This record gives sequence, C-alpha cells and structure tokens, in this order.
Amino acid sequence: MSAQEPRAEAVPRKRVSRLLLAAAWLVPGLGHWLLGKRLRAAVFVVVVVASFVTGVLLGGELGTPKPGHPFSWLATFACLGNGVLYLVRMVWLNGLGGALGGIPFGLSGGGDPTVAGFAYGNTFLYTAGLMNLLLVLDVADIARGEKS
Amino acid sequence: MDHLFLMLWHALLVSVFFAFLWRSTAEGRRRLFLKTFLVMSVGSTLLGWLMFPFP
Repeated sequence: MSAQEPRAEAVPRKRVSRLLLAAAWLVPGLGHWLLGKRLRAAVFVVVVVASFVTGVLLGGELGTPKPGHPFSWLATFACLGNGVLYLVRMVWLNGLGGALGGIPFGLSGGGDPTVAGFAYGNTFLYTAGLMNLLLVLDVADIARGEKS
Repeated sequence: MDHLFLMLWHALLVSVFFAFLWRSTAEGRRRLFLKTFLVMSVGSTLLGWLMFPFP
C-alpha cells in the first residue's frame, strides 16, 4: 500500500450464531435452509447424504481414533464432519452405551477391509464429511454478509 | 460394483456440490459442473491409463 492511499477503516466482523453453525454441522444443508437458501440446502443435503450412504453401502469404515495411529485422528475429523449421520451410525454400530463408553479408543467404525469397496467406501465417507465442513464455513460467510 | 461407475458417481456428487457452493447463477453452475466433472472423470481415466504400464 502506498503512502497516499487512505487506510482502510477497521470494520468489526459480524458475529455468527454458534447455534447456526452447530445446526449447519449437525444436519447437512440446515444452515443454508435457515438462512433462506432453500435450493442450495436441498442440493447439499442430497449430495452429502448420498455420498455418506454410498460409503456405508460399499463397506467403508468411519474414522475413529486408534492408539498409535495419528492419521486416524484426521480420518475421525473428516468423518465427524458428517454431523448427525456420523453420530447415528456410531450408535448403530456400537450401541448407545458402547458409543459413549468407547470414546476415544473403543469405538468401531464398521466397514469390512476384505470387501472390494472398502477403500472406495472410505473415500465417499471422508468426502461427505469434508463437504459438510465446507458447508459450515459457507454458512458462516453468508451469515457474516461476506457472501450472498 | 463397477469401479468406473463409482468414479463417475463420485465425480458427479463432488461436481454438483462445488457448482452450487461456488456459483450463484444457473449458467455459472452449469459451466463449473461440466468443467469439474470432465476434469475429474477424463483426468482420472487418463491418469489410470498412463499408470497402466507401471507395476
């Protein structure tokens, strides 16, 4: 910036409701729906759920933390992005008691490494979670008015 | 399940996602979808073909 240019005024960033972000994470598309972006919300929920269901049907394994495997935390983070889909699948696989009691290292992510679709299934599950995390960021941008 | 079908299904989902995430007009979405889908599907096929001679 040259010396002649006026200094930009510091504009305080608009705060985003944490409840809105939590809703956007928990249910794919819900954040956009609440912001009035109904078409986008419908498309996003279909895409994320379709990707997640494909991953499960192919025998993919949801990421869970494994001791001695640091990358399993990354897989967990990606899969946690699926929000309620991840939580429901975890309860489905482990039971409510097992899911709560198994945190962090006693959880089963399901899946079958011996089936042909295992790696593909994992890819679809990670993709679904990461797409939903991008949606949360998008919701934050829209709520701040930085994007329409 | 057919690997090619899975690749195309994945490319389709991701392309639709980014078209709606990054573009706000119907024309913009259509163009980005086609570009992304073609790059992912044709690019992957080409890469697979190029890797074929390697063990």
